[in-house]
Amino acid sequence: MSATSPIAGSRVAVSARLVRAEVMKIRTTRAWWLFAGGFATLTALTALFGWAEHHAELYPPSGLTNEADALAQAAADRTPAGATAMAASMMTSGQGLLVLVTVLLGVHVVTSEYAARTMTSTFLVTPRRELVIGAKLVTAAAFGAGFWAIATAADGAMTPVFLTAQHLPEAALGSSEVVRAVVMGLLAYVLWALFGLGLGAVLRNQVVAAVAAIAIYAGGFAVAELVVHLLNDASRASWLLGLAVLAPAEASNVMIASGRAFQGAPPWWVGALVLAGYGVVLAGSGVAAARRQDVS
Amino acid sequence: MVIAVAVLVVGGLLGWLLLRDRARPGRGEHYGAAPSGAEPQVPAELPVGAPIPEELRPLGRVEVSGLTKMYGGVTVVDDVSFIAEPGRVTGILGPNGAGKTTTLRMLLGLVIPSGGVARIGRSRYREIEGPVRTVGALLEASGAAEGRTGRDHLRVLCRAAGLPLIRADEVLDAVGLARAGGRQVHGYSLGMRQRLGVAAALLGDPQVLILDEPGNGLDPAGIRWTRDLLRALAASGRTVLVSSHQLAEIEQLADDLVVIATGRVVASGTLEAVIGAHAGLEEAFLELTAGRGEIR
Repeated sequence: MSATSPIAGSRVAVSARLVRAEVMKIRTTRAWWLFAGGFATLTALTALFGWAEHHAELYPPSGLTNEADALAQAAADRTPAGATAMAASMMTSGQGLLVLVTVLLGVHVVTSEYAARTMTSTFLVTPRRELVIGAKLVTAAAFGAGFWAIATAADGAMTPVFLTAQHLPEAALGSSEVVRAVVMGLLAYVLWALFGLGLGAVLRNQVVAAVAAIAIYAGGFAVAELVVHLLNDASRASWLLGLAVLAPAEASNVMIASGRAFQGAPPWWVGALVLAGYGVVLAGSGVAAARRQDVS
Repeated sequence: MVIAVAVLVVGGLLGWLLLRDRARPGRGEHYGAAPSGAEPQVPAELPVGAPIPEELRPLGRVEVSGLTKMYGGVTVVDDVSFIAEPGRVTGILGPNGAGKTTTLRMLLGLVIPSGGVARIGRSRYREIEGPVRTVGALLEASGAAEGRTGRDHLRVLCRAAGLPLIRADEVLDAVGLARAGGRQVHGYSLGMRQRLGVAAALLGDPQVLILDEPGNGLDPAGIRWTRDLLRALAASGRTVLVSSHQLAEIEQLADDLVVIATGRVVASGTLEAVIGAHAGLEEAFLELTAGRGEIR
């Protein structure tokens, strides 16, 4: 059997058809409609919420104890810098929540195969398991990018209308700050997809992996916030506060935020590096786990 | 501007990825549901491919030597060796929990052996390029996702293996599931699931067939059909390896036998040789496995 059979093909050709098989797996069950419908609904809700939130910032209600501060802030929001920050925020509306859908999709792509016991036939067709997990990583990342495109399209339709309606400079939309936030948003969606998939490949159990993903996401965020607030009272060492970026959800915030995501937060690229670190380490662990483990 | 282009590019790519299958024929066809409870009729003609030329038959020889599997400190498969010859049906017979399934899973690269090696032709399963063209396997009834249709289950496998999607319809026809193929596996009886599993094993018209308890859940007609199919596959020069704990079934089917109890081979050889001086297979089996595990 020295000649390569036509079916074997190169590593690239095999990977390409494995990705297409993964897309088919997602589209041939109800999960496809759940994820697409769920994401579209959440996008609409968070976009509306973003509108309401920024509208409220521009028109603080009277009778606040710190009304003067609120009015000063509203005035500052109408400066070019304020408008830019607002545009960047609206163009990434609700991203903190929306990336969770991507995480769960990543978890689903691998754990559903263990749950339905289809991993057996998947690995029988392709015994090179690293190629299978690689195709799943590519597929999850592609869907993450697709989710980003949907969310950005919705925000992109809403934000100029908001800016015009509020007589804010529309030029703010084209600023490098906004472009950076949106592009980093794409990176965030992709990395969170890898994060979820890697976690799923390591844990295998659908429920356990989904709960763990949410716990790491929300729990890590809560712990980081708590520590930051405690330290904030106790210490003036701002680099300590910056360590909150080690929580993946905070890293995600840091990389898309215009200005500082929280007091003492490191620059945006630190957040990008931290989240990329988590994504790559988990994806790698997922491949290693799949190669090593028995499928029975 | 940059954002708009990026959104369009990513959205377009994803849309193309998702929609490219829609144009293909066969998708979304709805077949009339079979009356509930009725097992579908199987075509009279058995789905056996062209005979394997004499000179290629040695490539289908299955050789297991010294396979051992330990979980924790427990040895579930202990130094199992046997050969399944092309052109013959080899039966692995043993009580439940004897290690039959684990042995087959090691042979197929799904479970990593603690010791020993299993080869098909000259290669281990994981070294075979495009293995579905060489080896077809049935490990558990269907192994398909409940929410996917039988046809989509097979089409996913075709896609991953690089086979034309039409193969899915051909094997569905061959096992009598043509009408049920458009329904979700969720509604299949155990017998229909076994047929779907057989269909998956036949996808690549393989030279070697490995089936774990293929008779489970089948009605008498289904058992008869499966037996005729496996005999015909062996007669065409293919290698057929079947595990079972049903003595009567294996006695009518196998040319050669490997009797396993508590993880060890207790007898092997031709059916006649294993029966030897005993009155029949049942007496031989009971004596060989006496005191070794549970017999049902």
